Amino acid sequence: MAMYLIWLRVALVLYGVSSLTVIPDVLTGHDRWRKFVHPVCVSAFYFHLVALVEMMRLAHHWVPASLHEVETSFALLLTITFLAIYWRYRAISFGLFVLPVIFLLLLLPAAQPDHAPLSSQWMHNGWILLHIALLLVAYTLLLFSLLSSLLYLIQERRLKNKHIGGIFSHLPPLDTIDHIAFVTLVIGLPCMTVGLLAGALIAQESVGAAYFLDPKVLLSIGMWVLYVWMLYVRRHTGLRGKRAVYLSSLVFLMALTVWVANQFSTVHRFPAP
Amino acid sequence: MNFVLIGVNHKSAPLQVRERLAIPAARLQEATLSLLSVPCVREGMILSTCNRVEFLTYQEPAQADLLEFIQNYFSIGKEALHPYMYEYRASEVVRHVFRVASSLDSLVVGEPQILGQVKESYSLARSIGGINNNLDPLMQRAFTVARKVRNQTSIGISSVSIASVAVDLASKIFGSLQGKTVLLMGAGKMGELAARNMMQHGASTIYICNRTYERAVELAGKFPGVRSESGSATGQSAIVQPISYDLLHEYASMADIIVSSTGAEKPIFNRAHAEKYMQRRKQRPMFFIDIAVPRDVDPEINSVEGVFVYNIDDLQSVAVSNMSSRAKEAMDAEVIIRTEVERYTQRMHSLNGVPSIVALQQSLEDVRQNEMRRMAPRLAQLTSEQLQAVEQMTRALVHKLQHAPIQAIKRAAQEGDRETLAMIQHVFDLEHPDKPTPAPGIAESVAGKSDEEETAFVPTPDATAVAKADAASPAKSTAVKQESLP
Repeated sequence: MAMYLIWLRVALVLYGVSSLTVIPDVLTGHDRWRKFVHPVCVSAFYFHLVALVEMMRLAHHWVPASLHEVETSFALLLTITFLAIYWRYRAISFGLFVLPVIFLLLLLPAAQPDHAPLSSQWMHNGWILLHIALLLVAYTLLLFSLLSSLLYLIQERRLKNKHIGGIFSHLPPLDTIDHIAFVTLVIGLPCMTVGLLAGALIAQESVGAAYFLDPKVLLSIGMWVLYVWMLYVRRHTGLRGKRAVYLSSLVFLMALTVWVANQFSTVHRFPAP
Repeated sequence: MNFVLIGVNHKSAPLQVRERLAIPAARLQEATLSLLSVPCVREGMILSTCNRVEFLTYQEPAQADLLEFIQNYFSIGKEALHPYMYEYRASEVVRHVFRVASSLDSLVVGEPQILGQVKESYSLARSIGGINNNLDPLMQRAFTVARKVRNQTSIGISSVSIASVAVDLASKIFGSLQGKTVLLMGAGKMGELAARNMMQHGASTIYICNRTYERAVELAGKFPGVRSESGSATGQSAIVQPISYDLLHEYASMADIIVSSTGAEKPIFNRAHAEKYMQRRKQRPMFFIDIAVPRDVDPEINSVEGVFVYNIDDLQSVAVSNMSSRAKEAMDAEVIIRTEVERYTQRMHSLNGVPSIVALQQSLEDVRQNEMRRMAPRLAQLTSEQLQAVEQMTRALVHKLQHAPIQAIKRAAQEGDRETLAMIQHVFDLEHPDKPTPAPGIAESVAGKSDEEETAFVPTPDATAVAKADAASPAKSTAVKQESLP
């Protein structure tokens, strides 16, 4: 059995533990839980990172191409973003949603190895690496923006209804959540833009101008336009609350559709020989 | 102890009921005088705050219908009032007054404002003759107990006032208050405290608005760092600027937090205002803290997205969630209150025996002096030393004879044993003992003493006589009485 599977399983267990312990942490706000969740999560991150590096080294490429590689990379990005937000804003509440997602994402990769579907000509292409990595980062940030909007909605409802104590009484302040939602969107935009441009360049080179009519490409452009529009609306009208959640959800849904659109794409296929 | 207290508070009645019973400071004197005009009410004071309206009386006999007085005074039907009112009598009143003054019955346990509010009501009632020999010792003791509770427990240290609850809530919306703008509407004490608290937590600008601009300027002067008309800030980093009432809505849209505590009869801020503010603010959240009773902020505003309205009752619910951390302090304070109530009621009962003790001492002294006068011709041949010895012997004799009945009177008074008291009075022919009359000014002098000194009960002249009765000669105790009484 490959060593990375062991590291990944250790990380999986640690993520599982932190997914469970973050619940009382967020619900009660007791320091003793925080003292436990944080180191466990950081340990999980280290094992996760080691496992991913080992996994890619064994695969002899750095482009996360297979499903397991993409899942492991995406999960690592989620962890990094979660820890960054925690260190910057002391907002552990995101863990309530993100840690279980990370755990679920790692379930398959930790179970057994798989092989990359990409042909070797793409495996070492820098543009592909840029395209995939930046889009994964953009999706990660988009997910956090959506989570922030949801947390904002929860906190806003609580404050409106004057339910200050009890469950969720330790959510971050509204302004902080709103700031996280906005910052993640702002950082995500260049990642998504450059990621899509890199993809467009690759497609232009390999398929020619016809790539533009591919449903996946059209959906990707639609997603980008929607993303920019959402950012514009938030910036200029101060959109918050449930309308922000609706808009974030729409963009995230679009992103998922783009992902699924692989099945209908003739351009976005890179079969292994 | 013919004390009777009737009232409503934040626990017994919703804001709508308290609003109808609230008595503005300007009308408190007239209301207290009306209370004093009720038959059987000998003394009385009214405590009217955001959270309670209470009528404290001393009655003789305790038969006054205070509920009827309140119904008539406020023109409210019995049905609308009765379910929310509470009534305490005798030692229950003592306990309640002690708890109120010690802030154990407050919306936020341990908040310090209530003691000041009780003192203000007391001063007003005293100035118009509503507080005399019976309520004065009670209130003085209540102030002492309140100080004792604050000094001997941590309830004051970890105290969360309405003002700090408001800051906590603002922090849940804005995180840090650094750089935030606060608009203080009205000149209410609580509002001022809230704004001051926010300034301490980093609010950078405080706008102060009042219907009377001069009042706003005056209030702004109380804050450090007042901004001049030209706009240059002085003092600390925070800018404090009085604004004209005409510019209220213009400045309100710039404020992140609006603290309102005016005496306005109708809401000052309505939904249309809030919507306009939010449009101007690009939907940045706004926080209205409505401490006024009646309310200054239309509750409908809370339904505007991004706007949060908390009135005095809402702050209460937040305060309740903060209470748990102070449970131990409150429990300790309750023990102090219990002890103090027992001590006070015992002293009061003892005082009931004082007239009998003084009358007994006076009666026996009269007998001694009559006998000395009757024997004077036969004692004329004695030398002065021999005469002094006879004098001492008779005094000692009287002192020893009165010791047992005095102890019996004190015991009976403490136990409230009226039958024994009556029997002793009958046996010694003390049918009409004078009532104890504390000398004016005694209570005030006690108020200035340290807590340790004050743990002893307010020393009325008769109580002093009782205390000395065991140790001093009857002649001496009589002398004390004669010196004390006018």
